[in-house]
Amino acid sequence: MKIKERKRDGVAILEMSGKLMGGPDAEAFDETIKTLIHEGCHNVIVSMERVKWVNSTGLGILISGYTTLKKSGGELKLLKVSDRIENIFIVSKLYTVFESFQDEAEAVQSFS
Amino acid sequence: MASRVEIKLPSDMQYLGVPDAVLMEIGSDLECGQRALEELGTSVIEACTNAMEHGNKLDDVLPIQVIFEVEGHEITITVLDEGPGFDFEHWTPSDELMRQRGRGILIMREFTDTLEFGRHEDGRFMIRMAKKLAPSEDD
Repeated sequence: MKIKERKRDGVAILEMSGKLMGGPDAEAFDETIKTLIHEGCHNVIVSMERVKWVNSTGLGILISGYTTLKKSGGELKLLKVSDRIENIFIVSKLYTVFESFQDEAEAVQSFS
Repeated sequence: MASRVEIKLPSDMQYLGVPDAVLMEIGSDLECGQRALEELGTSVIEACTNAMEHGNKLDDVLPIQVIFEVEGHEITITVLDEGPGFDFEHWTPSDELMRQRGRGILIMREFTDTLEFGRHEDGRFMIRMAKKLAPSEDD
């Protein structure tokens, strides 16, 4: 998994690519979230457009990030989740937790 | 006619995409619904995650074996590891929504027609799943 970070209107956008599956991915993602919080950025959009697949360990990474940001007073939202990955969010009922968008501007706007 | 494909992988999670890719290749000849194929792909990734992580403790010297058997539009996948296995009979899903782990079995159970855990005749721990991949109206 690769993470490319950028900011838009004070919101961090993490563009993920590859496979989201735990192991070293978890450490890299966790570190990125902690650094953002340390820098004062508490609102994060995770763009899933280039994520091929997610396993249950990968879901754990997103949950961990969500929980960490929530505790710091921020939020983690999802962008451009594929049908394949959305199906996993549905069966695991996590769609009730993660707010999800298909349009980046709309996702950024939702924080204001 | 039934066909069978077997692969062996080191217990290294960087190879988790391989059984999914093999399945997509097999499925491309079956004219089946993409959604059903992806659900089975997600399930085989989960089974292999379990086999590598919990079965073989990520010891990359220990291989996992994945067997794909195709008969008509039904695909049966068997994943074998060297670990002790676990007691599926007494497994109950957690209702803690924000837990970080423990969704693999739930996902496999939801996305397959049949799912069983047990001991292969050669002693290895086995997860076996099957799904009928009929052409789907939702594609």
